[in-house]
Amino acid sequence: MKKKILVANRGEIALRLIRAIQELGHAAVAVYETPDNEALHIRTADEAVWLGDGPRSDYLNIDKVIKAAKKTGACAIHPGYGFLAENPDFAKACEDNGIIFIGPPSDVIQALGDKVTARRIMQEAGIPLVPGTSSLAPGDAGVAEAVEFCNTHGYPVMLKATAGGGGRGIRRIDDEKQLKAEIPVARAEAKAAFGNDAVFLERLVLTPKHIEVQVIADKEGTTVHLGSRDCSIQRRNQKLIEIAPSLIPDQALVDKICETAVQAAKAAKYFNAGTVEFLVDKDWNFYFMEINTRVQVEHTVTEMVTGIDIVRTQIKLALGKKLAFCQDDVQVRGYAIEVRVNAEDPQNNFMPEGGKTVSVYRSPGGYGVRLDGFAYQGYTIPEVYDSLLVKLTVHGFSWNETVDRLRRCLNNFVIVGPKTTIPFYLRVIDDPDFKGGDFNTSFLDTHDYLLEYEDFTTEGNKLAHLIAEIHYRQQNPYAV
Amino acid sequence: MERIVHGMSPGEAIETLRKADGYYVTNTARDLSQSDYKNRILLHTDLLAAPAREAAGFFSLEITGGASIHVDMLRKQVDPFLKLELLRERMPKTMFQTLCRGINLFGYRPYPQNVIRMVVSEYAKYVDVWRVFDFLNHVPNMVAVFEEVQKAGKILEPAVCFSTGPEHTDDFYVKKVGEILDVTGREIVLCIKNHGGLGTPKRIGDLVSAILQKYPDLVIHYHGHNTDGNDVGRITAAVQAGARIVDASDHAFSGFYGPPSILTAVNTLTEYGYKAIGLSEEAVIETSEALRNERQYYEYFESQFKGFDPTVQIHKLPGGAAGSSFEQATKGGFLDKMPTILHDELPKVQKELGNYWSVTPGSQILWTTAVANVQAGDRYSTPSGDLKNLLLGKYGPFPFYQPADWIYEKIFGPNWKETLEKEGGMDEIADMDIEQERRDLAEKLGYEPTEQQLVNYLQHPNDAVAFFKFEEKFGRVYVLPPAIFLRRGGFKLGEMLKFRDHEGKEHVVEVGPMQSDESGTAHVYLNVDHSERRYEFEPEVSESAGGAAKAVQLSKKEIEELAAAGDYRAPFGANVCEVSVKVGDEVKAGDQLLVLEAMKMQTPIKSEVDGKVEKVAVKVGDAVKAGGELVEVNS
Repeated sequence: MKKKILVANRGEIALRLIRAIQELGHAAVAVYETPDNEALHIRTADEAVWLGDGPRSDYLNIDKVIKAAKKTGACAIHPGYGFLAENPDFAKACEDNGIIFIGPPSDVIQALGDKVTARRIMQEAGIPLVPGTSSLAPGDAGVAEAVEFCNTHGYPVMLKATAGGGGRGIRRIDDEKQLKAEIPVARAEAKAAFGNDAVFLERLVLTPKHIEVQVIADKEGTTVHLGSRDCSIQRRNQKLIEIAPSLIPDQALVDKICETAVQAAKAAKYFNAGTVEFLVDKDWNFYFMEINTRVQVEHTVTEMVTGIDIVRTQIKLALGKKLAFCQDDVQVRGYAIEVRVNAEDPQNNFMPEGGKTVSVYRSPGGYGVRLDGFAYQGYTIPEVYDSLLVKLTVHGFSWNETVDRLRRCLNNFVIVGPKTTIPFYLRVIDDPDFKGGDFNTSFLDTHDYLLEYEDFTTEGNKLAHLIAEIHYRQQNPYAV
Repeated sequence: MERIVHGMSPGEAIETLRKADGYYVTNTARDLSQSDYKNRILLHTDLLAAPAREAAGFFSLEITGGASIHVDMLRKQVDPFLKLELLRERMPKTMFQTLCRGINLFGYRPYPQNVIRMVVSEYAKYVDVWRVFDFLNHVPNMVAVFEEVQKAGKILEPAVCFSTGPEHTDDFYVKKVGEILDVTGREIVLCIKNHGGLGTPKRIGDLVSAILQKYPDLVIHYHGHNTDGNDVGRITAAVQAGARIVDASDHAFSGFYGPPSILTAVNTLTEYGYKAIGLSEEAVIETSEALRNERQYYEYFESQFKGFDPTVQIHKLPGGAAGSSFEQATKGGFLDKMPTILHDELPKVQKELGNYWSVTPGSQILWTTAVANVQAGDRYSTPSGDLKNLLLGKYGPFPFYQPADWIYEKIFGPNWKETLEKEGGMDEIADMDIEQERRDLAEKLGYEPTEQQLVNYLQHPNDAVAFFKFEEKFGRVYVLPPAIFLRRGGFKLGEMLKFRDHEGKEHVVEVGPMQSDESGTAHVYLNVDHSERRYEFEPEVSESAGGAAKAVQLSKKEIEELAAAGDYRAPFGANVCEVSVKVGDEVKAGDQLLVLEAMKMQTPIKSEVDGKVEKVAVKVGDAVKAGGELVEVNS
């Protein structure tokens, strides 16, 4: 039966969700704020509801989103990533209003969203953990607790917001003085960002690989994993390039990590799609980090190598279907790489290029190429949202083939208007350490020279530059 | 009946010329470009003509040298070496010829010996025939070049500059040829260099006869300009008298101040029974067919003053200087004074300054002096630095007589004899530290320069660096046809421009809209190879808004008064080619503050007071207008 499903998000992920909804034969309902007036997700959806002027506040407004669902008769809501995706109150509001929340139940979100609770669950299930504290006690007692932890386990440590996620609210602490100074700041920041000032400490695993596992579970508790991803190429804890499967040479270790991920999901009574994140240190020890209770930006690489449509599966499971495949059905074929093409100037500290108009948008195509974007020629990038323009995902039979395909696609991408991260990626993927799979989360710090590139100019563009000047000056100033 | 081709040894080529039953033709494409098109004929056009010119069977193609190496980099944005390489690819047989100003090489003033030798040996890899001259016919000024050309195994063609007047007798020139032969030996081609197109056919015929009477086996190459419309007559007389090579150019581009057309000369000589050896008239015609459509794009660079100028016999301005003199008069607002300048003052100045040969850089000295004399009213009251150097003998000795004492006194003051004694004569120019120059260039470029880049840098440091940077930014632009490179008034919206780059890739550029934003920045949109590109340009600072090129209305007297007070203003519109002081320097009266260059002439600006430099308003390369601020010295 044709159903209406509301997409409580914007940007590329809104489009991604709408595509899956429409492919299933359902109708997609979009929501939007005023700055997104011209956004493609409104045009693509079957219906759209204006939430308010925002910015951001209306996408985060649970009441308005629930109201929009009721008004349009949507039976389910997909939250995408970010905004309300990992907000247990939102999942709860859906449940209370008889709307299907496409994701895990609110109590699971609640438990896993609280890092300290999550650690406790995992500890009980025997999942390896980075040494850490539970939420620090308020005030001076908490500081004393933190100092004691650090004296036992040594610096550096990570100070994290208990309710944080997506790399936000994390800071590195190198000594006691800094620890004492930063705890109040982190508390204030966590309060502002997540409405909860609880923080905790974790020993810092130096230069780890960030390896994560896509898991998916139906309501009967059948839980399978869809293989690993390597998201080590990060800038300030924000992922830039994601790869599936991981390039760890020891397949037995990868299998063990994936099986551990399934155990962890089961321990958390997980339902629907989620991601179990691990850190892998240089001695190949791995530690549980967290479970993300949402569809990830980088889910595309897993889809490419497994052939499984994660969003479609999410919707079907949420609507009550059982998993249509078992672990043995999941085969990883080849490699996939996703780069986030952001409207940012990598040479200016990745400053967002919001407010600029995309005067030309020409994307690559061909075999093994996937694009999840929402920009179009003439689109003005709102300044109030994130700077992701399009995710370019390529798939290849071998690692080298995949990198070659990515290079070709990046070279063929034409985006005029905002500066993008494309020239930077072109430098990264030609780096011998990247090509050799020899990288971890410190890659950008140790390869900062990759930012020293010149604007990609071909002989044709150079000559055209002179033609432009002859045109502008009404004569050739270099020939008079 | 043998064609002379690239790769023949000088001995073989000269022997062939000596035995020739007829004459050979040099296509003087470079001189035509320099005389009638301000040196702007692009490599693109020469490449277009290359196959037909190759088939034409010339003795040589004169395609480099003179001012062209400088202009190649400064105005055509082409590497003078790459030009020769590309032409050689398309013209494997034709010998390439250059014009070298002896000690002044391809520039305007003397270079050190080690630079001369390096430049010549590097260019000799590409150039088969070396015409070498000195505007004072002072043989020692040419010796270093002679030696390097002979060392490189290339054909040496020393030139005697020709002019007219009571001193310019056959005897004088025959002796001059003897002086040259004493240095070079007999295995040379001798050029009679008639850059003004002076004298009658009879005069030229007599001169050739007189030289051949003394040196019967000497191969003479006659070079003339058609300013008075009669060079075909002189060519005919020269060949009749025994000259073996003559200069002429492609008729599709012939103008008024360069060499005459090849076919006219050849047809005339055929009737007299002289055969152009190896020459294909069909190919000469084909060359002009290939070129004819291109001429329209160079119209802007042709002289606005059309028509032959038989009065060249009076003012003697060489080649393009005759045409451009009128333009300078128009720009300078003294067009009404041209009859006086050209027909009274210039001949007078020539006589007064020793009746030497009016050719670079001597012709510029004569012209600027004549203009200054007429403009100032008080003759020789505003001498240029180069005139002073001429009078002091820095270029070489006067060929016939020294200018009168009163001129020296006027220019150097009552103690002129002392000055002449102390400062007179050619300076020993110290060798340059070439390795230091190489390091300097490497620092300016940010990479290790090639030998060729260094050679061009040594001659024209600022312009060579500007060109290398231009090429980094804009690529190899010689591929753009004149219809694009020299376009004026912009392109039409939607116009499609097609060209093939240096590597051979075809490009298509479609012209899109142009918009300016609030800040005045212009955005030019082009569709380049089917991809949209946007190029930003900042508007040029308008003159009223200030800037280095600010025009200030000051009389000559006011400028002088300001200078006496330590505020130095540009006495005329010029480019700053050297700044010798910086803020805070202590200077004494007579110390050089900076050097201005206008119309190839350098003029040092010297402090008139003792004091401290308070302000330097310009930097090297700036254009200043008359009255513009230069330097302030606080006394």
